[in-house]
Amino acid sequence: MTIPVSAPQDTMTTTPPLVATVQDLRVYFKTKAGLVHAVDGVSFDIRDRETLGLVGETGSGKSVTARSFLRLIQSPPGVYAGGRILFWSDEARRTGAEPVDLLTIPRHQLLDVRGNRIAMIFQDPGKALNPALTIREQVAEVFYQHRSEELLEGAYGDASLLIRRAAGQRTRLAERLLLRLPPLRQQATKLRRRVDDHVAAALNETQIANPRKIMDSYPHELSGGMKQRVMIAQALACNPDLLIADEPTTALDVTIQAKILELIRQLQERHQAAVLYISHDLSLVRQISDRVAVMYAGRIAETGRTEDIFHEPLHPYTRGLMAAVPSAGHTRGRLAAIEGTVPELVDPPASCRFHTRCPHAVALCGAIDPELLLVGPAGHQVACLAYNTPDQLGVDPSALPDLSRRTR
Amino acid sequence: MVDVPAPDSFTVSVEGPWIVRLRRLFDVSRKVLSNPTTLVGLMIIIALLALAALAPLLTTPNVPDAYQMPRDWGVRDAPPGTPDHLLGTTSTGGDVFYGVLWGARTSLRLSVIVVGITVTVGTIVGSLAGFIGGKLDEILMRAVDVLLAIPELIFALAIAAVLGPSFGNIIFALAVVFWVKYARIIRGQIIHVKQNEYVDAARVTGDSKFNIYRKDVLPNSITPVMVQATLDMGGIVLTAATLSFIGLAEAGLAEWGVLVSDGQAGISAGKWWASTFPGLMIFLWALAFNLVGDGMRDVLDPRTEGR
Amino acid sequence: MQIREYLLRRLMIFPLIIVGTSLIVFTLSRVGGNPVAIYIEHEMSPAEVARLEERYGLDEPLPVQYLVWAKGVVTGDMGWSAVSAQPVTEALTSRIGATMELALFSAVIAVVLGIGLGTFGGARRNRWPDHLTRVISISGASMPIFWFAILLLILFWVNLGWFSTGRSDPIIFAAIAHPTGVYTLDAILAGDFRALFDALHHLVLPSATLGFGATAIIARMMRSSLVEELNEDYVDAARAKGLPERLVLRRHARRNALIPTVTVIGLGFGFLLQGTVVVEIIFRWPGLGRWMADAVLRGDQATIMAYVLFTSVLFLTVNLVVDIMYAYLDRRVVLGA
Repeated sequence: MTIPVSAPQDTMTTTPPLVATVQDLRVYFKTKAGLVHAVDGVSFDIRDRETLGLVGETGSGKSVTARSFLRLIQSPPGVYAGGRILFWSDEARRTGAEPVDLLTIPRHQLLDVRGNRIAMIFQDPGKALNPALTIREQVAEVFYQHRSEELLEGAYGDASLLIRRAAGQRTRLAERLLLRLPPLRQQATKLRRRVDDHVAAALNETQIANPRKIMDSYPHELSGGMKQRVMIAQALACNPDLLIADEPTTALDVTIQAKILELIRQLQERHQAAVLYISHDLSLVRQISDRVAVMYAGRIAETGRTEDIFHEPLHPYTRGLMAAVPSAGHTRGRLAAIEGTVPELVDPPASCRFHTRCPHAVALCGAIDPELLLVGPAGHQVACLAYNTPDQLGVDPSALPDLSRRTR
Repeated sequence: MVDVPAPDSFTVSVEGPWIVRLRRLFDVSRKVLSNPTTLVGLMIIIALLALAALAPLLTTPNVPDAYQMPRDWGVRDAPPGTPDHLLGTTSTGGDVFYGVLWGARTSLRLSVIVVGITVTVGTIVGSLAGFIGGKLDEILMRAVDVLLAIPELIFALAIAAVLGPSFGNIIFALAVVFWVKYARIIRGQIIHVKQNEYVDAARVTGDSKFNIYRKDVLPNSITPVMVQATLDMGGIVLTAATLSFIGLAEAGLAEWGVLVSDGQAGISAGKWWASTFPGLMIFLWALAFNLVGDGMRDVLDPRTEGR
Repeated sequence: MQIREYLLRRLMIFPLIIVGTSLIVFTLSRVGGNPVAIYIEHEMSPAEVARLEERYGLDEPLPVQYLVWAKGVVTGDMGWSAVSAQPVTEALTSRIGATMELALFSAVIAVVLGIGLGTFGGARRNRWPDHLTRVISISGASMPIFWFAILLLILFWVNLGWFSTGRSDPIIFAAIAHPTGVYTLDAILAGDFRALFDALHHLVLPSATLGFGATAIIARMMRSSLVEELNEDYVDAARAKGLPERLVLRRHARRNALIPTVTVIGLGFGFLLQGTVVVEIIFRWPGLGRWMADAVLRGDQATIMAYVLFTSVLFLTVNLVVDIMYAYLDRRVVLGA
């Protein structure tokens, strides 16, 4: 059933302001086999104080999308081949300033955004924490890097140049040795104590009991859940406007998962931040997201409010995912797995990425790349030819796929 | 949880085991050769082998022993470019070019013999230790530890010194020193296979120990042994040259180490060629085998060099 | 604690291996024939020789011979060194300083250059600094030390005249006292800058020669460790915190990459030890290496045995220390093992 469409627009007047918007992002990787289109034209919005769940199976490009926000993709072999990621910081929104394009801002500006305006927590906290540094040393880095002015003010008065440099982590080896000498040593210790206070406060926020003791530990001495709390504390330390969570609970016990999710939700409210939550777990995403974007093979298949997506999935892939999830509410029956595998992403032809596995695919699906169309209320968009009108594509009505009919 | 669904169908391969092995060999060789540095190494090896093979054709073999440097008191210390002496002559009139070529032959014989002996001995010892296990294994491994405690060159030096200066003794000394690594490789493979479940399955079906050895241990050990052997081809010549340089080979032998040593005295007088060219050959030989060995190791035993 | 068990086992086996090594050395000497030759000092009459044989139990069965010899080693009597016309123990202690000095300087060069080069190449993977590092690494591993030494001499001694062979200018050397046997140290202690300069000047070429090969080994390990570390998640996490790249490299990647690099110290040391033999020959350095080389040519068994035993024990000790250090460092790195 096709619905008359219009270009994707923000027609709602009560929607919260934008924090970030991804516009036609393309990230490719040069490999021996060719140019892999890991992310091939992805667009979505993230709004203030909202959690957007980015869902997809392994290889869908969701992690690459997330990492692109902070420009973490290594340049050989990765390449930012197109699109923009516009970001409005809190300040920009207040003053009405223009957004910045995270993919092109100069490096010093990028370093200011990273860890400060936008923070990221990673999948396996055991691997994302440096095993050779104590918790204190690692969390302190964020404060030194972004809050050095704050650390210096107050009791110092006229802080010496050396202390200033120490606060900003810009000292050389000789300078660090000098800081051990008596006259400067006191000031350096005072600085360190202030940082410690900040670190302890950050750890406290994530409900870590006895933060002072934890601060002296090494990552391998902590449990998985504890490590993830440390990561979260580190990420929220500078009160970022956007938190990107890349599958933060995948490596954790199911029992701990729930606690961490709850913690993220609470902290999000307290810090009034937006969250981009990456996951392959549908049921999890449903619990915590306000909006969902479903990714497949480097493109967005469908996006909208969580309840809309789950009650009325529009894209055949999304429908397949729902059917494949053996949730308690479903009638028992065959586990409906989606046939086929994720397609080759090297120099893909212009076609729907899903058409080789789609139960409703027709010939047209192998010839045209569907665009994201606004199809439902509250910004429910889907990229499937079944929702286009024949006039839009210039074809016969019989050429369009029909979701009520299976072709395989 | 949504997982990646299984593929449509299986393709069952009906190819025989040898074809599968050959194809694997082909694929591996291609991968190894795709690395440019490995390719360079291989080309150098081919060039060196060509020099060795063509020695009797490119130069007139010395009588009575072609492996002794010829002496021609008329053309002592001739610089490179002298007619008939492309790379010059030594202080006793020996043609440096002759030394380079016949030295290649000497190195080839030496390294092939030593590698042959060491691989065999190492395999035997390693197999005994691995299969019989228990006390014998303990004793043999302690012995291996002891042998590894003495640095290779020094050990070979001592053995050759005690036996007396001769090239044959050098070969023997090197064989004694270099077999140890192979024993470890083979033993390691056997232990690994022993721990593997499918061997228990094989034993249940009645496969004799020897068959397990033949079908599981040996094929899997070939690759690390090949890598080590390639690297050793280079290392053995290097060590042998060092021993000859110190003076443990017969005087006047057409061997690169001996030539470098002989040429040493003339350096202060500006006669650089007698030492430089033979030394360059040693370097090229070791370099080539190291490049190829490394290339092989990268392919056959890859460590994560990035995504 | 697996690691503690492992270390305890190593410590317990250590003396056994030393004994095993001494057995090999002993066997070598018996293979070489004429066991009493070790103790003969000068032209001795058959009667004196017979007395020596009795004294060292050489008419007794082999196991007893071994015990007598071993006891001698432990008490400092390792025979007479024909090439240096002194008791072996004296010859050894008088030459140790020179070799240790050379080895130390080479080691410092190798560690500094090796780590620097490895970091330089590893951080810029697959671009020209990386290729340069790999070329240098593999050249260093394939380079015949004696040839490299000769090349350096041809260039810097014969052609440029900047350096010469030998350890010192005899006049300057004789002008100061030598309490430690290490020329540079003695010069500093004596406050004699001319001597210090003399010492350092003579150290340049030999330690450059020795250091090159060891640099290659260390650089190669450092590079591959760094490449591995840079692939780890915590490096990305550090970048995501907004840290400038130099901090990410220095405090995160490189620090962790240094740990496995420690393991090649043992290897590098073995390399240095073996290299001193030829380097001391070519540069006429009055150390243990040249002592051994002379002994090898003269068939001086006492010296050969003593040298092999000494270097092996040294090599074993260094490796053990390195293993302990690594286990200690790794304990922090290993995630909850």
